[in-house]
Amino acid sequence: MKLALELNGRPTELECEPDEMLLEVLRREGLGSVRATCGIGVCGACTVLVDGEPLSGCLTLAPKVEGREVTTVEGLAGADPVQRAFIEAHGFQCGWCTPGFVLTAKALLAENPQPSEAEIAEAFGGNLCRCGSYVKIVDAVRRAAGEPAGAR
Amino acid sequence: MGIDPRVAGAQRYSVDLERPGMLHAAFVRSPHPHARVLAVDASGVPSDCVTLLPDDVQDLHLYGCQVRDEPVLTPLARHAGDIVAAVAAPTAEAAKAAARLLDVRYEELPAVFDPVQAVSPGTPLIHPDGALSAGEAVSIGVRPLAGTNVCHRFRLVHGDLTAGFGEADVVVQQAFRTPGAAHAPMEPHAAVAEWEDGRLTIWTGTQTPFNLRGDLAVAFGLEEERVRIIAIPMGGSFGAKTFVRHEAPLAALARKAGRPVKVVLDRTEEFVTLNRHPSVIRVRLGAKRDGTLVAKELDCWVDTGAYADCGPGVATKLGYAGVGPYRIPHVRVDALAIYTNLPPNGAFRGYGAMQSIWASERTMDVLAERLEMSPLELRRKNLLRDGDVFATGEVMHDVQFERCLQAAADAVDYERDPRGKGLCVLLKGMQTPSRAAISVERAGVGYVIRSAACEMGQGVRRSLQLMGAQMLGCEPGQIDVPEPDTDTSPFDTRTTSSRSTHMMGRALEVAVRDLRASGGERGYGEVHNEGGLDPDTGQGVASTHWHQGAAAAHVTVDEETGKLTIEHLHGVAYAGRVVNREGAELQNEGSMIMGLGTALFEAIEFADGQVTNANLSDYNLPAIGDLPKRFTHELIEREGAEVHGLGETVLPPVPAAIGNALFSLGLELHELPMSAERVLAAVDARDARAAAADSAPEARVPVAVDGQGLSG
Ligand code: FES
Ligand code: FES
Repeated sequence: MKLALELNGRPTELECEPDEMLLEVLRREGLGSVRATCGIGVCGACTVLVDGEPLSGCLTLAPKVEGREVTTVEGLAGADPVQRAFIEAHGFQCGWCTPGFVLTAKALLAENPQPSEAEIAEAFGGNLCRCGSYVKIVDAVRRAAGEPAGAR
Repeated sequence: MGIDPRVAGAQRYSVDLERPGMLHAAFVRSPHPHARVLAVDASGVPSDCVTLLPDDVQDLHLYGCQVRDEPVLTPLARHAGDIVAAVAAPTAEAAKAAARLLDVRYEELPAVFDPVQAVSPGTPLIHPDGALSAGEAVSIGVRPLAGTNVCHRFRLVHGDLTAGFGEADVVVQQAFRTPGAAHAPMEPHAAVAEWEDGRLTIWTGTQTPFNLRGDLAVAFGLEEERVRIIAIPMGGSFGAKTFVRHEAPLAALARKAGRPVKVVLDRTEEFVTLNRHPSVIRVRLGAKRDGTLVAKELDCWVDTGAYADCGPGVATKLGYAGVGPYRIPHVRVDALAIYTNLPPNGAFRGYGAMQSIWASERTMDVLAERLEMSPLELRRKNLLRDGDVFATGEVMHDVQFERCLQAAADAVDYERDPRGKGLCVLLKGMQTPSRAAISVERAGVGYVIRSAACEMGQGVRRSLQLMGAQMLGCEPGQIDVPEPDTDTSPFDTRTTSSRSTHMMGRALEVAVRDLRASGGERGYGEVHNEGGLDPDTGQGVASTHWHQGAAAAHVTVDEETGKLTIEHLHGVAYAGRVVNREGAELQNEGSMIMGLGTALFEAIEFADGQVTNANLSDYNLPAIGDLPKRFTHELIEREGAEVHGLGETVLPPVPAAIGNALFSLGLELHELPMSAERVLAAVDARDARAAAADSAPEARVPVAVDGQGLSG
C-alpha cells in the first residue's frame, strides 16, 4: 500500500505493507538512525517523533502515520540546540542510542522547557543506554534547557 | 566540519552493511542443550535459498582462541542455541522462514548446567575427546584435566598455606555465587562475509580483528593473509564481540553461496551467543589478632559453558584478582574453567575480576567483624605498597591502592559513621603478554594513524587523535584514524582489558620518533609487554601494569519489602595520566552503571538450559531511574605517571561495596544479584540469628558447594 506523510519536513509517499512496522519502512528509506534493538518497545533506540510525540518505531504500524508529521534525527538540521547540547555535554559513547535520546529530549523540552531531575528521568524511562552515558545525557538536557553547565 | 555522526544519527554500524548481490543468513539452532544431530532434511527449503548443512563443512577444522574445541557447524549440540545449520536467502525474513523449514532430527543426551555439578564424578562429558590447545596463539598455558569437564585449571601457590593458617588467630570461610549476565550491547552482532578468489573478507563489529583472522584461518585451513577482517565501529560490546562468534558459520555459508552473505542476530540469539561466566567461589581467610593477614585460600568454579572460548584466561584472571591488593604471605588459588551445557561464556567487562572481587572483598568485611575491627582499617593495614611482592612474585610499582581506598571512604564519610556503608578496593591486570603496533603517515594537511584499536564507544579514535595531536604538534581534527583492517593496520593483540590507550599511546610515541628520524613521511612503532603466569604455580608476570580502583556505597533498606536504596555510590579509578577527560569520565560512569545492574538485578535465568528471559523486558538493563540518589566518581592522577586504562576498573568493586554496606546492617548476601527477595531473606536470616543468639558464626557457610574439594 501507499503511505503519504510528512517525513522530516517533506511531503513523502512511501510503499509499505499494511502490517509493517514504521521502523522497517524508515530504514528502507535509508534513515539509519532508527535502530532495531529490543523490538518490543522498551529501549527507545527506534524512537521517532510523530507530530512531535516520541513513539517506538518497532511498535508503531506504518499505516498509522498516514498524513502525520514524522521526524527522525536525520531531519534535524544538525545544528539543533538539543544536538549541540549532547555534543557539548559529551552525552554519548557508542552513539547507538543517541538519536532516540535526542528526539525524546526534544519532545520533553518542547512540552516542559525547565524539567526537574525527576521529570527528566521519567521522560527517559523508555530509553536505554547500555554504555551508561546517563549522567552526561542529563547534563545535555540541562544545557539545552539553558541551565549552567554541570549543574546537578 | 559537520557534527559528530553519532549525534547526527549518521554513524553506521555492522547492521548497516551492504554488499552488491548479498544474501541474508539465518542460523538453525538446536532447541536441546545437549543432543546429537542425527539427520538434517532440507527438502522443504525453497530453491532460491542456499543451505549450509553438516556435509558442507567436512573440510573445516575446529577453532578456538585458547582451546580448539568449536566446530563451524556442530554435529553435537552442546547448548540450546548451538548452530547446527544455516540458510541464506534474498531477504532476512525469507532466510528466517526457510530456517524454520529445515528439519533436524536429534538424539537428546543428558546435560549439566552447574559448574560444581559438572566436575562431580559420573557427570556427562561435554567434550569427551578432550580438546586441543590452540597452541602458540594462546597467551596462557592451558591445563585441561583429562576425562573431566575441566578445560583449564589455574593454580597459584605462594608460601605455605598450612603453615599460614597455623599462624592465624582467626579464620573465616565464606562461599559466594554469581550468575550469568548478558553484555546486551544495544547493537546486536552483525557481519557480512564475502569470498573472492579463495580469499575471505569479513566486515564485522569486533574487538579482536587479528584473533578473528587467525582463528578463521585455522577453521578454513587458510594462510592468515587469505583472511581479511575490517572492524566496523560497534554500538557497544563490553566483551561480547570478541574472538569468533557468528563469523565462522557466516563465512562457510558465503563460501557455499558464492555470494556475499550478511547476518544480523535477533535479540534472543544474543542471549545464546556469549555471556558472562557464572561462578562459585569459596574463600578461606586467616589473620592475626591485630588484623595482619597471614593466609588465603580461594577455590573457584568458573562456568565457561559449551565452549572454552577465553574461559581459561578468565579463570586465571579471576583467580589472581581474588587474592586482592594485599600482602598475604601464604596463598593458594585453585580456579577451574568448566564446561557445562549453557551457552558459551566469555570476556565480559572486568574479565572475571568482578566475580572473585565480590567474593574476596565481602569476606574481608566478615573477617573485620570477627576481629572487631573497622573494615577500612583492616584493608589499610594489609594493602600492597610500592616495592611489596604480590602473590604472583611480582614486585609492585606505582601503587595507589591506599589513595583509591581512602578517596572512596572519604566520599561517603565512612570514618565518621560506617553504618549502611561498604567499601571495596581492587587490583586487576591488563592483558599480558601483548603486542601493539601503530603507524603514522603524513597525508595532505595532517596525518593518518593506522592501528587495530577498535572503536566501541570507549573513544579510542578520539584518544589517538588527542595523543597524536600533542605528539605531532597539530590539531586533533587533522588526524585521520581509519577503521581497523587486518590488511593495512599494523598488528595489535586485541582491544580488550582496557589496554588500548596505554599500549597504543606508547606505540605511538615510538612511531612519532621514527617518523621524525626518517624524514617525516612515515613512522612505525611497536611495543610489547612481556610476561604471563605459570598456570601450575601462578608465578610470573600477571600484568605489566595494574588497574587500581575502589568503590564506596551508602545504602538504606526497607526491611518490610527488601527494597534497597543506594543513597550514594562513589567510584575511584587510578588514571595515572588522563588523555581524554570526558571519555575517561564516561568510561567510569558506564562501568559503575553496569556494576549497579550486576549488583542489583541482572541475571540470565535458565530452566533446563533454556534462557527464560532472553529479551530486554525480562532481562533488565539499568535505566536513568536506576541511578543512585548520589552518583559520583573520581580519577586519581599523578604527575608524570603512565596512562592507565580505565575501561572497566570501577565495575568490579560496585557489587562488593553494596554487599558490604548491607553487611554493616547485619544483612549477609552471598549471591548476586542482590534482589529484593534476597535482601528480604537476609533480613529474616539476621532476625533468626538474633533470636538464636548462641549459634556459632563460623558455622555459617551459606552456599553449598557439595564437598567438591579441589585438593591435589
Ligand atoms: S527497538 Fe523499538 S523500543 Fe527497542
Ligand atoms: S552510547 Fe552506547 S548505547 Fe548509549
